Amino acid sequence: MAFLDHGAAGAETRRAAPKGFAMINPPSDNRPAWCTGCGNFGILTVLDRAIEEAGVDRRRLVLVSGIGQAAKLPHYTRANVFNGLHGRALPAATGIKLANHALEVVVTSGDGDMYGEGGNHFLHALRRNIGIKMFVHNNQVYGLTKGQASPTSDEGFVTKFQTHGVILRPFNPLAIAIVEDCSFVARSFVGAPEHLKAMMVAALKHRGGTALLDILQPCITFNRRNTWAWYRERCKPIDDSHDPTDKMKALELAMKWDGGIPIGLFYRSDRPTFESQQPVLARGTLVEQFAKAAV
Amino acid sequence: MDVNIRIAGEAGQGVQTTGTLLVGALAGMGLSVFATQSYLSRIRGGLNWFDIRIGDAPLFSGREAADLLVALAPEALETLRPHMSDGGVVLLDSEEPAATGCISLAFTKTAKEIGGSEVMANAVAAGAAIRVLGYPLDGLLGFLSQKFKKKGEETIAKNRRCAEAGAKLFASTPPRLPAPKPGGKPVSVGNATQAIVLGAATAGVKFVCGYPMTPGTGVLQGLAAVGDEFGIVVEQAEDEIAAVNMACGATYAGVPALVATSGGGFALMTEGVSLAGMLELPLVIVLGQRPGPATGLPTRTAQQDLLFALHAGHGEFPRAIYAPGTPEQAYHLTRRALETSHKHQSPVFLLSDQFLMDLQTDTPTLARTLRPIDRHILADPPEDYLRYAVTESGVSPRAIPGGKAFVIVDSDEHTEDGHITEDLEARVRLQDKRLAKERGLRAEALPPERYGPEDAERLLICWGSSYGPCREAVDLLDAEGASAAMLHFRQLWPLDAAAVRKAVAPNKKRAPRQIFCVEGNATGQFASLLKTVGALAECTSVLKYDGLPFTGAEIAERIRHD
Repeated sequence: MAFLDHGAAGAETRRAAPKGFAMINPPSDNRPAWCTGCGNFGILTVLDRAIEEAGVDRRRLVLVSGIGQAAKLPHYTRANVFNGLHGRALPAATGIKLANHALEVVVTSGDGDMYGEGGNHFLHALRRNIGIKMFVHNNQVYGLTKGQASPTSDEGFVTKFQTHGVILRPFNPLAIAIVEDCSFVARSFVGAPEHLKAMMVAALKHRGGTALLDILQPCITFNRRNTWAWYRERCKPIDDSHDPTDKMKALELAMKWDGGIPIGLFYRSDRPTFESQQPVLARGTLVEQFAKAAV
Repeated sequence: MDVNIRIAGEAGQGVQTTGTLLVGALAGMGLSVFATQSYLSRIRGGLNWFDIRIGDAPLFSGREAADLLVALAPEALETLRPHMSDGGVVLLDSEEPAATGCISLAFTKTAKEIGGSEVMANAVAAGAAIRVLGYPLDGLLGFLSQKFKKKGEETIAKNRRCAEAGAKLFASTPPRLPAPKPGGKPVSVGNATQAIVLGAATAGVKFVCGYPMTPGTGVLQGLAAVGDEFGIVVEQAEDEIAAVNMACGATYAGVPALVATSGGGFALMTEGVSLAGMLELPLVIVLGQRPGPATGLPTRTAQQDLLFALHAGHGEFPRAIYAPGTPEQAYHLTRRALETSHKHQSPVFLLSDQFLMDLQTDTPTLARTLRPIDRHILADPPEDYLRYAVTESGVSPRAIPGGKAFVIVDSDEHTEDGHITEDLEARVRLQDKRLAKERGLRAEALPPERYGPEDAERLLICWGSSYGPCREAVDLLDAEGASAAMLHFRQLWPLDAAAVRKAVAPNKKRAPRQIFCVEGNATGQFASLLKTVGALAECTSVLKYDGLPFTGAEIAERIRHD
């Protein structure tokens, strides 16, 4: 049994490998693993600007992600990073925020990670309304696993897995978030960088609990249906007359897709945050409380 | 001497309340107690029982035969009468004359008349039971006043009147049972669930989460109950997957955190355990075992998840597994689990089971003062800090986010700085570093505890909750002149094979003639582990997997026949 071996024994064996069996080590670096022209580059650039503009102290910023191409983003900027398990970014972020609610905790991950594998956590994070910002890179396809349908893929989208086209109805994260009274619900498009930056800054400055920012983003390799041009044609900023505190109107907007995709702030609610309702946290962050007791 | 009292009835009839009243009253009088519970996975109906064995000397096990059966429902008689000792007394809550050998007492009717509610039938029954044993009622009356303090004078008075009425009901119908003499000085009673709660709270746990599942729930609710006092956030997660990932997040951010669960719930957590292994987080998992596979017997006991805990999580990474044998050990090992996990930045298990979680027995008072553990965190990390710097011990200096240094962790293979990599040399370097921590864990492994002579002919090896029953078996065998000793393991991994070999046979010339490995599973998991690491060549497994805990008498009987 391998676990019975001490690490060092393994190293011995390896060093004793005879000539001709040397390890072939492919080149490795920390440059983005994304395709040229990928929407993730735009999201990364705009996020960096939004962090500066919102005045977020990077030392107090934790970027949390799960698994997927989008989930690699935290490695390509300067911040604390928790790149956890597939689908589990939200619970990890919740634990981080509860341990130290003075940290700015931002989840940046993809549609598969957040709405598929992590769907249950998504629902309950909305109910909790803890101060976490979710920036969901939504390209309507699985990139890392090479082209299968995602929870947000359009019906009829043909892949090597969904050979007759997607039959499932697409998941509507915004409508769900509005129904669950998420305190900040917005959508943007990476092809509208100024709009995206404004939404990110607003989300980062949001102090009312959980913020959901769904970011439409083309996958130039695996999604030939929802292309840059496809999104550009359809994405329309929400009219200034929209009142984001009007829940039913927000829901109506969130149901729109085929006849034009609204982008902007859909909904904002005034709910107490999860952390503000924890009597223990009124005494300070847990990490401070521990440090104080340990002295 | 000792007496075994069994309170039985349907779920929802107050079996547990009656039992709790008697434990409080009898321990308060200075009797040693060993109280266990047997219940079904339902809220109403079925047949549950609560055993309270009392004695004038410390007790370590339950026993099958009851001397006094308090039946709150007639259904209890059919199942439990065959398990009475000779001369045992049976009380039945009934207004009708009872069958032969059974004393009919109207607990419920009396409760309604005296207390105005059938709920107080528990106090009536407890009063009658105390009189059967020939004890004065003061102890019970005093305990009732203490227990219902928060509910006010009226509730106290009603309950006390009910207890007195119960005593009177029995007063006219002897015989009484011979009973052990109370010591006078109150005996402090402890329970493993409460001990784990207190061990964790006083060690400075700050974040606890889980999803309700018997027998882990008690730890979660116990910590919730002391959350405000000790400054602990306790969260009921949407599922066990969320629970373990939340705990990983909290430990990353710098606070000691803990999850508590059981079989199937733990199965869902295994990917998170692997994450803690990869991220090198100090995760503590309280695993309350129960019989599986799958949902199995939800409210019964087992020691069947040892090898599962040992191998849980994909990939290879070090861990430690503790298994307390008594409430007192549970208290100290919970603290140690938190300390070890922080010192060695590895997941650590506390393996318990329903038997131990529900057990109430003599336990010294456990300190309630907050004594935070050492988290081994860098106070002032440099700006070029590397979370996974390679060191000889494998333990890298740990920083937490929010300070000068960025703390970068990744579930993908990573380089020393924590960033994702596919560099295969880095892979081998970091995997060796992680595994190197096992040396440190092994060096600190707790040795097994021997009970009985070093040169005993028969050696009973056991672990975790089998401590008490095995110890009683040794006493029973010893009383017959059979030479026996026990070797109890409260740490199951890592094992120091050489140290175990020495503990098994301290005197090489007089090694045990027969070695038994007593465990609550069907496949002899610990025996196979001891053999695998080369700590033991041969042994006879004494196994039990019917969902009930071992008793000392049962183990002794099986050893005699081997």
